[in-house]
Amino acid sequence: MNFVVNGLILGSIIALGAIGLSLTTAILNFYNFAHGASLLLGAYMGYTVLHSFLPRLGLEGSTFPYLSFGFPMIIAIVGSMILTAGIVILIDRFVYKPLRDRGSGPLILGMSSLFMALMIRNLVRTIWGPDIHYYSHQIQMSRTLPFGIKVTPDQLFIIGFTIILVVLTQLFLKNTKMGQAMRAASDNLDLAMVTGIDTEKVVIWTWGIGTALAAVAGVLYGINVQLRPMMGWYFLLPLFCAVIIGGEGNFYGAMAGGLTVGLAQEVGTPLLQSLFDSLNLTVSMTGYKPAIAFILMVVVLLVRSYREE
Amino acid sequence: MNISGFLGYFASFAIVAGTYSIASLGLNLQFGYTGLYNFGIAAFFATGAYVEALITGGASMEHIGGFGLPVIVGVFGAMIISAILAYLVGIPALRLRGEFLGISSLGIAETVRLIITNEKWLAGGVWGLGDIPRPLGNLVAPKLYNWIYLGLVLVVVVIIYYLSQKVVSAPWGRVLKAIREDESVAAAMGKNVYKFKMQSLILGSMIMAVGGAFYAHYIGYLSPESFRPLMGTFIIWAMLMAGGKGNNKGAILGAFVVWGVWTFTEFLIDFFPAALASRSGYINVVLIAILFQILIRIRPEGILTEGK
Repeated sequence: MNFVVNGLILGSIIALGAIGLSLTTAILNFYNFAHGASLLLGAYMGYTVLHSFLPRLGLEGSTFPYLSFGFPMIIAIVGSMILTAGIVILIDRFVYKPLRDRGSGPLILGMSSLFMALMIRNLVRTIWGPDIHYYSHQIQMSRTLPFGIKVTPDQLFIIGFTIILVVLTQLFLKNTKMGQAMRAASDNLDLAMVTGIDTEKVVIWTWGIGTALAAVAGVLYGINVQLRPMMGWYFLLPLFCAVIIGGEGNFYGAMAGGLTVGLAQEVGTPLLQSLFDSLNLTVSMTGYKPAIAFILMVVVLLVRSYREE
Repeated sequence: MNISGFLGYFASFAIVAGTYSIASLGLNLQFGYTGLYNFGIAAFFATGAYVEALITGGASMEHIGGFGLPVIVGVFGAMIISAILAYLVGIPALRLRGEFLGISSLGIAETVRLIITNEKWLAGGVWGLGDIPRPLGNLVAPKLYNWIYLGLVLVVVVIIYYLSQKVVSAPWGRVLKAIREDESVAAAMGKNVYKFKMQSLILGSMIMAVGGAFYAHYIGYLSPESFRPLMGTFIIWAMLMAGGKGNNKGAILGAFVVWGVWTFTEFLIDFFPAALASRSGYINVVLIAILFQILIRIRPEGILTEGK
């Protein structure tokens, strides 16, 4: 049962990232291999705001009841969203836009973003060092809910915060002019252009929203687990997997895909382990959690490729 | 540094650049001629290295293999395993849009890395694999060995270059170029696009495995850490894009140029303050990544162009 809860927590983090990736994939028409790096950057930006910037303003130490962090963390999350989105928009202006303007195809952009991911990861290692960081060194006791579910208050916060953000994003896409323009652009970019939508503005907003959501996902992962330079890379395949399951540009699809991948990783690992154990195979599955997303993705791709034949 | 020290340094530089240029030739077949985006080069390079080590290495209680067989058997084994891996990547990805090969090959590289790290019985796990023999090692004094090995690597590079040139100028190679330029036209001419892409992917990956195999003999010890499999993919892409995609001479030239830049910046970083020097490896990757972005912006065709 607890595996399901862990799966839902990981799944909400992946879902936040996947909603952003799904938007950028559909509107910018390329698979952004640096989206995992946005999670990474978001987590470290949050760390810097929390531990370097806010203490200078005298904002530190206070914690919410039950949680391991307080109001400064909320500021750190918002700060990280703005900073990370700003950086990625700048990257788009100076790196991807010139390539788009030259008419480079989606694959050249994909490759450029792959190298961007490599650069961001190593910049993080250069600036913050290769070691693991934590937002808080406080150890939280998990509480037992009905049905023997064990969760920490922080984890409940993660799920709640994700739900709020998903609802806000959906409201934005449905009810604002820019949101509607974004949905139109994700359906058909050329048609959106013809109807007089300022596509460059849409592109900037898409990067902004997609990256801000990824930044939150990164901070939430940092709260739940830890911060390390490889975290963005480990999220990349689960993110792609979630978007491919849900279909590019499909909001609910990305969300469902994210939850599916999270559950598959957390529930699938012990399931396969008990299967191997009952067959007397000495295989340890714990090291293969990241590979489960990949196997799931291969299955989805196979189904897709036979459908398209 | 005295002159013999410098020459020794040059020999080891050229050996590594040589093994990378083999992988770069493999990528050129896949990407330069067929337009396939393989983001999992590290998987095939590492597979080549590990299979070679298991087949030719000395026996060990810690892991399987260690058959002590001749190098040529090891190279064939490495190529066969790499071909199987490439086939598995190709099945789900090659019928779909190009991005999916990129994503799927990235996934196989991650999976191979996880296997190398986790399976102690197979690949020594985090402790790595040692005791990899030096081919032709008994011919000369250990001090001069690098020169013999450099000669061997260069012979292999020349053979693979020659064979690559042959296949791309054959009718088979012309079909690959047609697929690269316009898949639907190639399909309309009655070519089985999926089959040709699969063949190119498999052949290229087998070439990459050869590069990995010769890399293994040179460094003599493989571990998930020292081997840096993720780097494998990036640096080989940078090499091919710098040298010139669709040009086999360019693929080799790019390997030497990029490895030269890499080695030179590593050398420069020695002069950095101590605080930064411990992170020099990361700065070096950042520099290569920036170089790559500049390259695909200002000269996407590379130093040597494809020509007619």
